[in-house]
Amino acid sequence: MSQQSIVVEDLYVRFRPYVERKPTLRRSIGRRRAPEGVVALNNVSFSVNRGEAFGVVGKNGAGKSTLLRCVAGTLRPNEGKAVVHGKTSTLLQLGVGFIPELTGRRNVYLGGLAAGMRKHQIDERFDEIVEYAELEDAIDRPMKTYSAGMFSRLAFSVAMNLDPEVLLLDEILAVGDASFQEKSMQKMRELLDRAGTILFVSHSLGSVEEFCDRAIWLEQGEIAAKGNASDVVEAYRRSVKTRKSD
Amino acid sequence: MTQTTPAPTYYTRRLVYYIKELWRRREFIWFLAMGNFKARNASTTLGLFWWVLNPVLLSLVYWFVFGLIFPGARDIIYLMSGMFVFHFTAQSLTGGANAILQNSKLLTNLKFPRLILPLANLIEALVGFTVSLGVLLGLQLVFRGFFPGWSLVLLLAIVPLQLLFNLGLASIAGRLAVPFRDINNFIPYLTRIWLYVSPIIWPLSFLESDRAASFAPLAELNPMFSLISVYRASLIGVVDQEGVVTGASPFDPGLLWSFAVWAVVVGFVGIGLFVRYEGKIARHL
Repeated sequence: MSQQSIVVEDLYVRFRPYVERKPTLRRSIGRRRAPEGVVALNNVSFSVNRGEAFGVVGKNGAGKSTLLRCVAGTLRPNEGKAVVHGKTSTLLQLGVGFIPELTGRRNVYLGGLAAGMRKHQIDERFDEIVEYAELEDAIDRPMKTYSAGMFSRLAFSVAMNLDPEVLLLDEILAVGDASFQEKSMQKMRELLDRAGTILFVSHSLGSVEEFCDRAIWLEQGEIAAKGNASDVVEAYRRSVKTRKSD
Repeated sequence: MTQTTPAPTYYTRRLVYYIKELWRRREFIWFLAMGNFKARNASTTLGLFWWVLNPVLLSLVYWFVFGLIFPGARDIIYLMSGMFVFHFTAQSLTGGANAILQNSKLLTNLKFPRLILPLANLIEALVGFTVSLGVLLGLQLVFRGFFPGWSLVLLLAIVPLQLLFNLGLASIAGRLAVPFRDINNFIPYLTRIWLYVSPIIWPLSFLESDRAASFAPLAELNPMFSLISVYRASLIGVVDQEGVVTGASPFDPGLLWSFAVWAVVVGFVGIGLFVRYEGKIARHL
């Protein structure tokens, strides 16, 4: 198997956002074409090796989430490609696939099945997932009665117990209390130790610095810096400061 | 060694792979359907009963109103049988249009064959439909003392055909509703008209009357006409003036064939349109 587990080549994504476009019948039938739209990613290339944690930093709207969605395969880029080798687990948003009216138990199954697991695999893992999320008492209650922390703990626990080889994470570490955050860090280190890969998008520069080996800094859809995580974070910090002092 | 999933070539490129993926995810389809089914009625007192209650109440309303206009429509079993079958297709159509928009979070986060969403919606509607057919047969047995015999075998042909037809409609609606959200406002009127031109609230004898002279030749082109007729031939008995069952409804094989053609055309065209569009959905949400 190749050393590289994520390869992103010349990614180019352009959106023609809905709100701006207002694609009513009149617009669609009429000759007038919508304007070019927003370029979310332009000429983005990088690769991530097995056993590596790779960070993505940048301000809001820089294209971080779009990048992750392309890697996850839910968004087809206009040009270029993103290839992932290995079983992928995504945590781009919390509680994807969960239905709040249903019990936590049922949602563990829904979330796992949505992520591509089979039911018997979830059966085997069920106790582990619940124990890890520290929700033994609440698992048979409807999820809408959960606190935000409980909700995210369960979501994280389901995603981590899918045995991913590649984990795509978006802003997830800000969830749960301090002790759960410590636990999730540890779980991710275990993943790296068994040659898993993590692609990590965050505004928390500290955790990118501490956790990731390499990183990129996205600025308006283009790579502004690439390399060693602490160097990239440092460069990004400097640019934020300069902008503030202006 | 853990399994390695293939690189994200988009599903649309390989049909066999697409179908395999759908099959591999059958448990997800089932859990999603049942989850929505439960969640939808979780906060009402009568809960799941609403699935049966809705078409029953609707039938009663039409029975009350139209029974006064069309004497033949006083046959409540006739009316209900048509209404249940129609309701199943109408539900799939409305649900298909909503399936993509309501699950946008799932779509933007996870990769899976998108046809799962209209399929789960179809399965959900099928469960409600199955229960309502049971209610229909029960009511007929209690009030008419009639239970169909071998004609029930027809269900083995007509139910799968209706499923294919419904999935096709749901796919077309889902395909169109993403770029043109106006469709969602339009669908209720479409189904209303469809209900009135189908043999549900009016008896078949209405087609022979003078009032229906210009409408009658077109009526049988309606796929709902042949669909409902086959269901009736399978399920309900014919009653005379006094409301006594005189025998099973007659079965016309021509109607089954004509619906089969509708189902295959609408089904495959709809699914085809949907699957070809799949890759663009996330961009339009």
